[in-house]
Amino acid sequence: MTTTVVKKTLSKNDQGQEIISSVGMIVALVSFAMLFATLMMGFAMFRLTAPVWPPAGMTKPSLLLPSLSTLCIFLSSVCYMKFEKNMADNRGLIATIVLGFIFMIIQTLLWHSLKTQGIYVSSGIFPSIIYAFTWIHAAHIVAALAMLIWLYRNVQKGVTPTTQRQAGNTGKFWHFLGIVWFIMFVTIFVI
Amino acid sequence: MAFFEQHIHDEPKTFLSKYVFSFDHKVIGKQFLWYGIAFLGIGGMMALLIRWTLAFPGEPFPVIGQFLFPHTNGVVPPDTYAMLFTLHGTIMIFYAITPILIGAFGNFCIPLMIGARDMVFPTLNMLSFWLAFVSAILLLASLFTPLGGAAGGWVSYPTLSTLIGSPGIGQTLWCLALFVLGVSSTMGAVNYIATIITLRAPGMGYFDMPLTIWGLWLTAILNAIFLPVLGAGLLLLTFDRVFGTTFFLAGAAATSGSGDPVLFQHVFWIFGHPEVYILILPAWGIVSDLLSFFARKPAFGAKATALAMTSITILSTLVYGHHMYTTQMSPLLTQSFMMLTMTISIPSSVFFANWLGTIWKGSIRFQTPMLFSLGVVFVFGLGGLTGLYLATVSTDLYLHDTYFVVGHFHYTMAASVLLGGFAATYFWFPKMFGRMMNETIGKIHFWITMLGLNGVFMGMMVVGWAGMHRRIYNPFVYEFLQKLIPINTFITVSAITMGAAQLFFVYNFIYSMVKGPKAEQNPWGVGTLEWTIPSPAPHYNFAEIPVVKCGPHELGNPNLKGDRDFQYQTEELVECNS
Repeated sequence: MTTTVVKKTLSKNDQGQEIISSVGMIVALVSFAMLFATLMMGFAMFRLTAPVWPPAGMTKPSLLLPSLSTLCIFLSSVCYMKFEKNMADNRGLIATIVLGFIFMIIQTLLWHSLKTQGIYVSSGIFPSIIYAFTWIHAAHIVAALAMLIWLYRNVQKGVTPTTQRQAGNTGKFWHFLGIVWFIMFVTIFVI
Repeated sequence: MAFFEQHIHDEPKTFLSKYVFSFDHKVIGKQFLWYGIAFLGIGGMMALLIRWTLAFPGEPFPVIGQFLFPHTNGVVPPDTYAMLFTLHGTIMIFYAITPILIGAFGNFCIPLMIGARDMVFPTLNMLSFWLAFVSAILLLASLFTPLGGAAGGWVSYPTLSTLIGSPGIGQTLWCLALFVLGVSSTMGAVNYIATIITLRAPGMGYFDMPLTIWGLWLTAILNAIFLPVLGAGLLLLTFDRVFGTTFFLAGAAATSGSGDPVLFQHVFWIFGHPEVYILILPAWGIVSDLLSFFARKPAFGAKATALAMTSITILSTLVYGHHMYTTQMSPLLTQSFMMLTMTISIPSSVFFANWLGTIWKGSIRFQTPMLFSLGVVFVFGLGGLTGLYLATVSTDLYLHDTYFVVGHFHYTMAASVLLGGFAATYFWFPKMFGRMMNETIGKIHFWITMLGLNGVFMGMMVVGWAGMHRRIYNPFVYEFLQKLIPINTFITVSAITMGAAQLFFVYNFIYSMVKGPKAEQNPWGVGTLEWTIPSPAPHYNFAEIPVVKCGPHELGNPNLKGDRDFQYQTEELVECNS
């Protein structure tokens, strides 16, 4: 009798925690979305008022590296969804973390290749946008990777309602960053 | 409703866990209160330095001038003057009002008034305070850098705020300080929103929440949405200054390519206009409640007040352009922004009329919190009405950047928020510290503050109407402004009076905390949930989570029997028996 009572209150507690943490995470994501939306608004303003784009004397950077990083972050999100379906199997999580690191390496290569082409941060508005936006995004990716590693350590100790909750919320953040990168990829590099 | 019941935590025992790194929302609230009051003092001192320079140009500031500005024999130097008005604005808005109204009373009131044991994320709450602390250190550190603190105005428009306008590291530190503070406030906002959605006591619907909570909730929503906008702007400005990007540099200022200085103004005001409502909404909520509590009457149209505040919240996001009429905006846009801005006066009049309806025929108790609330009604009415001149394009083009603007925004977001903060302090002091504040000193504090405050801000509007520009070190080098010296002297004397009145408050606050008479559980005779528990509130707030059965303003019900003229929210609403 007592054990069932305890179980019931526990699960109600978990339910409450679940709702609270997802409300919190959604509000936080709205905040992050506004940060990136502001950047995008600034970009749109420059882009729509510029007579030619990219600005005179500049060519668009090659699509190769950004496409690769888009592929990486897309695959990482797919792996994460697989992991969320069956949390006992943490290979999906490991794949997400590895792909996340590869994404960061490709971004670093991108900055390096821009530099070797003579495109510096201070070379004008378009390079400013490329560098600043990818920096801000990368800073969030680093934070998300730290969250993923923390989640990995927790999952190793066993899957509980708490870790499921953590996985759900970390996942929301990770997918969000994937979407943000996709928007940046399309608006900055493709069109 | 409450989705689950929080557990009672063990009482913290050590000094560090109890007073410094506390998870308890009440302690964090008090920390924010001290933080805010300290900065209120610093910002107030800066205001007096500014006022002294405007009334007595070229004369040394008395007493402390010699220590602050030894090179000029105590006269405020021009570059320091620019720094003073920049930091006065920044400190008052972000480091005094925000911590007191949102940090202190948000933290203290939300869980107590909705019947919760703590915030949903206590760790985030603690982190929020300590990030604000780091931010304060960054800002104060900027004062000691070689070229001094930021001096580009509190709005820090480029190109004044880029390396061309302010080459020192002070402006960079200012950007970082505000960014960190933005992160801290966003954390607080996430916490407040989640707490109010998920932890209301059983039976408490959204319209059973006290209006204080409505105000704080709407503020938190605006904070969560619009602080990141400022964050993005500050990040780009920092990149411009540190890494050499060219977002806000144009023309001769940019080495190559070109950015757009006006973009920063857009970003700043997209955040900045909601920010003024972020500051005023908690005060509105608090005043709406207090007027009802001290008029011993239900709040007139409480639901309409809540909905009016909500519609103002929504409208506030659409009107930012009225700060930028002079930036060569297309007339089509200026008129749309004018139209939208004027629309705000409709919901504002709704709740203003509700305030008057609440005190109409009430049996008003003129205790200190009520005096301050009535003060808010008065100064906010004035501030709101003068806003119409600034919303209208044709008058704004003349009044733009004059002291009329300064007077207007001080009435709305300085005077009314300050008075609202004092009302809240006097009202919740018994629940915070378990002692009463002195009524007589409180009333003296109110009347002197009120006189000084109106002298200052009314005077500012007058000189502004006469054409005196803001942010000028010595306006009297212009012949047409020389006749304004006497009225500027009057403003300064009023400011000094108002500053001196705050000594009464500081004395009352500290003395009452130590030696004030012990407070009863419910000294004001009010039915909201925080008054159902002992004063000061125990660390777990509620031993039993209360069940809410009626609204927060059940006062003066003629069906009530017994010697009480109010009902607790935990009691069934008394109906007519016959």
